Amino acid sequence: MSMVLRLKTPLAARLDLGGLTPSALAGKAPGEVEAIERPHGGRLVALGELFAVRAGGEGRLVIEAGDARLDGVGAGLDAGEIVVEGAVGAHAGRGMAGGLLRIAGDAGDELAAGMTGGRIELGGNAGARLGAAPSGARRGMAGGVVVIRGNAGARAGERQRGGLILVEGAVGAEAATDMIAGTLAVAGGFGAGAGRGMKRGTLIVRAVPALAEGFADTGTHDLVALRLMARRVPDLAALIGTAVRARRLVGDRLQGGLGEVLVL
Amino acid sequence: MIINGVEIRDSFAEAFPMVGTRLIITADTPDWAMTAARVTTGFATSVIGCGCEAGVERVIAPEDTPDGRPGVAILIFAMDFKGLKTVVPLRLGQCILTCPTTACYAGVEGGKRVPLAKTIRYFADGYQISKKFAGADGRAERFWRLPVMDGEFVCDEDTGSVEGVGGGNILILARSRPQALYAAEQAVKAMSAVEGVILPFPGGVVRSGSKVGSKYKALFASSNDAYCPTLRGVAASALPDEVGSVMEIVIDGVSFDAVAAATKVGIEAVCAVGGAGGVVAIDAGNYGGNLGPFHFKLRDIMGGGA
Repeated sequence: MSMVLRLKTPLAARLDLGGLTPSALAGKAPGEVEAIERPHGGRLVALGELFAVRAGGEGRLVIEAGDARLDGVGAGLDAGEIVVEGAVGAHAGRGMAGGLLRIAGDAGDELAAGMTGGRIELGGNAGARLGAAPSGARRGMAGGVVVIRGNAGARAGERQRGGLILVEGAVGAEAATDMIAGTLAVAGGFGAGAGRGMKRGTLIVRAVPALAEGFADTGTHDLVALRLMARRVPDLAALIGTAVRARRLVGDRLQGGLGEVLVL
Repeated sequence: MIINGVEIRDSFAEAFPMVGTRLIITADTPDWAMTAARVTTGFATSVIGCGCEAGVERVIAPEDTPDGRPGVAILIFAMDFKGLKTVVPLRLGQCILTCPTTACYAGVEGGKRVPLAKTIRYFADGYQISKKFAGADGRAERFWRLPVMDGEFVCDEDTGSVEGVGGGNILILARSRPQALYAAEQAVKAMSAVEGVILPFPGGVVRSGSKVGSKYKALFASSNDAYCPTLRGVAASALPDEVGSVMEIVIDGVSFDAVAAATKVGIEAVCAVGGAGGVVAIDAGNYGGNLGPFHFKLRDIMGGGA
């Protein structure tokens, strides 16, 4: 059985919902969920104080009316679906390994940090360090798919080492800093200083971004991989479209990196 | 059983288990895709001497290939998985990687994984690029991009494999060599349209059918003397007096059903040529039924029973 949580009033302090996943709630009655205690401000608070809880569809957790102070939503999600009908705070989808996290509103910093699998769909804007390494970790997102309908903040894809991030809007400054692998596709523009320290990985863009020093322009090429990605990766189909050629910039050569920026 | 003047002999083709895979080769033009396919499946008529049996399965329209370019599907079969894992990367590296404009993709999803770019990516000397995405079905697929002199060679990490059937066959007994060859050509044309099979011999036809064993200790196989018209009356012959030439078509397929389907359309095509076209009988090669587990009984396949 899964749950529908409706926030009774806007949160007065931050609430960490990390680990509250359909798998963790399996077999629990609404009353048992209400008794779960989570860090809220400086104390532990039973969810029943903050949410009205009722049973919902199988394998799903629905959070009606989100809140920018709801941290860690979907953190540790491994299967099933979490739907948030509003905004969430920081660390949403942190360490996520599978399943689907759909957020209708905005998300705070470190969305999808350390994610290894599954899918996140964000209707609004994301904060800083999208798909980056969680605090204290060396590597960022390693797998899965993140689709952002709005914009993302600074340092998107920092130390990303796998998976696909698609931002339909723009991303902030210093995106893909120290990127290790994976793909960051941005339909809008990049902020200044993108790609500093990039080792590997691919940025897909529509116009040459304001890159950090250290990128070599290899020219424009007919790349079969574009045709393949447009067909095999549904999330990239709209961005790549019918493009078969891309300008390829490689860096960060100042650090021996072989990351690439494909300008469609 | 007689169809259009052609005797369908009460015989069966005896076939063996093989392990196979399919590769999808694409290129900028249909001709280059076919060139790569032909070269990759060259010198692959019989596992006895080639290590594998391979052939072109079908042409694939651009809208049905992974990258939207013209494509060709090929099938490669070996006696065991170890053999398949050896021959596929070799042929990929020498015949597809080298061929202008090509890319190579997995053509089988399930089964044990046969390495493709997983092996040959090192050709790129550190400049190889790995991309791994979750496909429409959610399964992560990795492909590689290898910088080459005409741009990039794109190739899937690996492909799946199937436990197939090798050595299905029909023998076409005709009055003369031109008549036997014409009937064989008609059969090849019809059988080539069957999905999941290849006819690994030159043009789909083998004129030097073999029997197991030899008077020479070093040889595993030797000329099928019972079907050699010039030995009639010398060796025990399976040929009536009016037969002057025999052609064989060997069939490898991804399943028993695929080989059976190809056998059926092949026999139908030969029978369409008929007795008036000089075809006397259709037979099949076997070893008494004790060696291969798959038996394709000609009369059963043609719906006539034994």
